[in-house]
Amino acid sequence: MALWIQISSGSPEPIYSQIVEQIRQAIAKGELGIGEKLPAVRKLASELIINPNTVAKAYTILEQTGFVITKTGSGTFITDPKLRHHDAIDMNALAERIDSVIARGLSLGISGEEMISLFNNRLNAFVKNNDGDKK
Amino acid sequence: MSEIVLETSGLTKYFKDKCVVDHLDLKIPKGCVCGFLGRNGAGKTTTIRMLMGLLKPTTGNCSLLGCDCQDLTPAIRQRVGYVTEGHRLYKWMKIGELEKFQRAFFPNQWDEKLFNDMIEYFELSKTQKIKHLSNGQRAQVSLALTLAPNPELLIMDDPTLGLDVAIRREFLEGVIHLITRQGRTILFSSHILADVERVADRIVVIGKGILKADCTLEKFRSTIRKYIITFDTNIPTEINIEGLLHCRSDGNLLEVTVVNTSENAIQDWANAGGAKDCKKAALNLEDQFIEFTSPVKKGKLFDWEYK
Repeated sequence: MALWIQISSGSPEPIYSQIVEQIRQAIAKGELGIGEKLPAVRKLASELIINPNTVAKAYTILEQTGFVITKTGSGTFITDPKLRHHDAIDMNALAERIDSVIARGLSLGISGEEMISLFNNRLNAFVKNNDGDKK
Repeated sequence: MSEIVLETSGLTKYFKDKCVVDHLDLKIPKGCVCGFLGRNGAGKTTTIRMLMGLLKPTTGNCSLLGCDCQDLTPAIRQRVGYVTEGHRLYKWMKIGELEKFQRAFFPNQWDEKLFNDMIEYFELSKTQKIKHLSNGQRAQVSLALTLAPNPELLIMDDPTLGLDVAIRREFLEGVIHLITRQGRTILFSSHILADVERVADRIVVIGKGILKADCTLEKFRSTIRKYIITFDTNIPTEINIEGLLHCRSDGNLLEVTVVNTSENAIQDWANAGGAKDCKKAALNLEDQFIEFTSPVKKGKLFDWEYK
């Protein structure tokens, strides 16, 4: 475990948010399932060669947004998706990502309809794949 | 408030009539990993040398683990690890001899296993002579010698200077290993901001001997921002934004770098000037450091004429 996280120092994105983002993605892709345990803070810090406080900060953010829950003495675990919540900032961040995809598409001369149908196809494939993993 | 393990108060050093460190006030709490940053000649090494009791302050004072740096007792020195700039070690000694020599200063606290593990991990042998080692290998020996006594406080002066990327990464691994044991405090100077970002949780920035910033790394990352503002018409003649570090304009585009200015304040200023767009530009720690520590220069070093 834990080896899927790739830290890039010198990036405009702070290290703690790189960890948060990659763990969220791993959860979204089904690589981390409900109830699965995250590596201990110190262990992940030594593996990634970063300050343990940075890992702790990432875990705290994941906990505040409901992605994980920390049980004292036993570790940090992935929660049930029903317990998760998102706020306006998350929606904004998502909108910005969509904007960059739209810009890319338009610059390549792809029409709005084509992009919407591509989006729907990808979404369906993604959901289907993840359901497959869980079974 | 956690215990303060490193403190300077009004710390000042003159070399002849040149002020190198100017009324530096620092308080580093226990458990903190502090990146000590500043451009060449900012006064980092001088500060560190005063902390280690190797230089006498002109005025002001400093202390380590509650003991004045002018009178560091052997008992206090045993709890402090110091890595000098350039990793100066006795060249005629073998690694094993150097270990014995160093160990004599720390009779009851030498972690032999840690030292041996590090030497093995770095693929060194105790029979190698220091003078036959590369810069990187000397840095590795120096780190092993410094970490073996389990120092509570570790002070390192540009420890990764001149090391290749792979050895630097191993060096950082050693430091992270130390941090993950509880209660260790580190102050290290460095010019490699990507390393600082990995290891530090707090940064101190000095410029011309004066304290410029002392905050968490996260605070520094979020306080220095760059915005690109697009105007419909002309750019306002007066750029009176609070906390402005630098600004640059090109046609109807204005690029501003600010410190400690809220996003709303920028938006309001842009709107008042009739801007049609204002967006945040991405800065990494190195960009932020350069923006923060570089004075505004008139003219350019290279002024090419494009034909």
